[in-house]
Amino acid sequence: MAKKQMKLGAFINLPGQHVASWRYEGTESDRFLELDYLVELAKIAERGKFDTIFFADVFGTPIAENSPSGIKLDPLIIIAALAAVTKKIGLTATLTTTYNEPFQVARRFAAIDHLSGGRAAWNVVTSNNNFESLLFGKEKHLAHAERYERAEEFLEVVKKLWFSIDRDALVIDKEKGQFLRSEKVNPVNHAGKWFKVQGTLDAPSTPQGHPVIVQAGSSEAGKELAAKSAEVIFTAWQTLEDAQKFYRDVKGRLAKYGRKNEDLKIMPGVFITVAKTEEEAISKRKQLNGYILPETGLAYLTAFLGIDVRGYDPNDPIPQENAEIEDKTNPQIRASIVRGIAERENLKTLRELYEHIAGARGHREIVGTPEQIADQLEEWFLNDGADGFNIMPPTFPEGFKDIVELVIPELQRRGLFRTEYEGNTLRENLGLAVPQNPNTRQSQNV
Amino acid sequence: MTNKKQLKLGAFFMLPGHHAVAWRHPEAKPENVLNFDFIKEQALTAEKGKFDMIFLADGVAAGATSLAFGQEYSARFEPFTLLSSLAAVTKNIGLVGTVSTTFTEPYNLARQFASLDHLSKGRAGWNVVTSAGKEAAGNFGQDELLHAKRYERANEYVDVVKKLWDSWEDDAILFDKEEAQFLDPSKVHFINHTGNWISVTGPLNIPRPVQGHPVVVQAGSSESGKELAACSAEVIFTAWQTLEEAREFYRDVKGRMAKYGRRPEELKIMPGVFPIIGKTEEEAKEKYQQLIDLIPESIGVARLSFQLGVNLSKYPVDGPLPDLPELNEINGNKSRFQLVKDLADRENLTIRQLYQRTAGGRGHREIIGTPVQIVDQLQEWFENEAADGFNIMPPVFPSGLDDFVEHVIPELQKRGLFRTEYEGTTLRENLGLTSPVNQFGKVTLQ
Repeated sequence: MAKKQMKLGAFINLPGQHVASWRYEGTESDRFLELDYLVELAKIAERGKFDTIFFADVFGTPIAENSPSGIKLDPLIIIAALAAVTKKIGLTATLTTTYNEPFQVARRFAAIDHLSGGRAAWNVVTSNNNFESLLFGKEKHLAHAERYERAEEFLEVVKKLWFSIDRDALVIDKEKGQFLRSEKVNPVNHAGKWFKVQGTLDAPSTPQGHPVIVQAGSSEAGKELAAKSAEVIFTAWQTLEDAQKFYRDVKGRLAKYGRKNEDLKIMPGVFITVAKTEEEAISKRKQLNGYILPETGLAYLTAFLGIDVRGYDPNDPIPQENAEIEDKTNPQIRASIVRGIAERENLKTLRELYEHIAGARGHREIVGTPEQIADQLEEWFLNDGADGFNIMPPTFPEGFKDIVELVIPELQRRGLFRTEYEGNTLRENLGLAVPQNPNTRQSQNV
Repeated sequence: MTNKKQLKLGAFFMLPGHHAVAWRHPEAKPENVLNFDFIKEQALTAEKGKFDMIFLADGVAAGATSLAFGQEYSARFEPFTLLSSLAAVTKNIGLVGTVSTTFTEPYNLARQFASLDHLSKGRAGWNVVTSAGKEAAGNFGQDELLHAKRYERANEYVDVVKKLWDSWEDDAILFDKEEAQFLDPSKVHFINHTGNWISVTGPLNIPRPVQGHPVVVQAGSSESGKELAACSAEVIFTAWQTLEEAREFYRDVKGRMAKYGRRPEELKIMPGVFPIIGKTEEEAKEKYQQLIDLIPESIGVARLSFQLGVNLSKYPVDGPLPDLPELNEINGNKSRFQLVKDLADRENLTIRQLYQRTAGGRGHREIIGTPVQIVDQLQEWFENEAADGFNIMPPVFPSGLDDFVEHVIPELQKRGLFRTEYEGTTLRENLGLTSPVNQFGKVTLQ
């Protein structure tokens, strides 16, 4: 039982992960704004012993009549509500550093970590589309390099705020009239290029030391930021070879920041369609593609390729690459992943391509029996391609239940996944150390 | 009996209690300020008492620059997080959070409240405040904004947030799986707002909130605050010591509504009340004295210094107040400054007497007595056009709230002054407020 086990995230994206899954009869599309429904899904995930549930975030997506993808509740509001009615599962929410203030972000995540008894995680992202910037009175979004520079400083300030009152600062001595020890308060005095913050958070350090830091970008700047400060990476790879290359690359950068391999968990996304037989799984997967209208598929592909293919005939060939690709930013990386898929899978037309990526959105896709799926996850896990996976169910609640009922038991049977939670905090379950308050360390040296 | 007009009640949660040194009280649980289970119990008590709403104050600063930092409690939950988690464990009670317009983007705030309103099925309320104070500004690397400018910006801000809530018509979502029509794009609107302070294109990425708009609450009683309230508030929390003052304020604000096309019943005026409940009047007075005796001089003086904008620690505590600044020199809470100054003048109080008088209610009305005496006083204000309801501020949690629910509420109900069952499931229904008309939906679209 001392065998190394994989970590699993449940990526909840409502009404469904697949672009047209909202039309599937089993999808409870009309409940996607209801708390009761979110609670049901969180409890399914907790029954499956997932390390965490994960909520992405996006805004500014153009509103289209045949797609729910422009709608998203605030992920922190969701995980705060779920914290109240779950016990063990981690609660990961995405929040951009581009249109928020460090003090607010530090405060909100600290609150969730206190509230949940140490189960909060923040997926740190930057915002990269012009629809988003217009919502904040900006003509254009920040350039890639500036976004990452800002994100790095943002995270630095947030961490300082999380440590601004030591966990043992609250003495609460009613007799003496002392609530906290001032010497355990470390006011932040930060003046950088992007932020100037002088202050103290209004809560002590959280049960996890601080919430788990998740990062999702795979660009050069993203990898460096991850090596410096991320504890989990959600990423997208199609082949074991590419995943291994990324894994080696990022883990190899850890040492220069004084970090060890196990301080960072790399968890690629995997879109899983499972059934008792392979035929059944394939037919389930095909059924979802049958719901995609050509205009939905083409609009979807436009977002991935960075080329406007709306109005094309779906049977047209995939257009050639846009020559003027600047730096390797995430949209471009996504485009090259999608082109790689087309080449590897020998997809010729626009329709073939959008049908292929309609579910996984550039992430790895596995269709098959529980054994076949476990085989593939095991292969990556045992060969330094992944420390775990962020699981993307094709439909909710049905496709998600299938994974919990069919795939999880198979992983458990092989000893690859837990049968009981190891601890009560997300860090304990992920096997991540509690970060030390740098202020405390200093005073111990004196 | 049921046709009789009934008063509205807010349960103002401030842990461990509203009194300045509540945390030192033997019945207080200061170790539980960040314990969700404890706060959940308080919420369930308030819901059992049929309160219209739970109200959370907020400030974006820890109070670390206070003269008495360390002797006061200085830990609390960020309000959105706490309200969202309480939404998951309550059914009927309203969830009102204070959020400053000064340091948050309007798009983010509109989204957070819309999310909370959906998840709570129509129970969200926003107490609109502006942030004063150097400490808060320092947390965001900004200079303190002048009082007049803060209100000017707040006015525009509320306007933008309402436009964002209205950017989806109520029936925009179709969920038509057969025809692949998720929504009707003609019912989703760009707001294209460009003003003096804010520019936002919209639309929001969330359908219109269940209540149309979350209930808009306002707390300031300054001249600019009254005008903002008459224009856009649906509830006012305010502080008055005497029936006469409260009536004048009530007439004044309700009288300003007509010019904005609003009727008096569209705004509920709810002064704060700090109740000390005893089985006998003597017992109540003893309780009050016990609380006063807990206040160390340093905290009393620090609190009063903050309210009056003058460092009073240099003056004899048993002597009179020094000369105070003029009202126009105050950039913080102007109305509270005036109230405390008037109280000192009216009753000729020393510094010590004054902090003792304001340490509990912080300038709100204190009522000390038996349940019958307390209800007599509430009834007097309610029936004489001084209040539509009250925001109840228990001195110490849980005992102060328990006592109010067990002893005062039944007396109010016995007199037919307060509900015995919730009238509806949304906060608007319980407060008797109608849903606002959608400003974009009114327009007939081509």
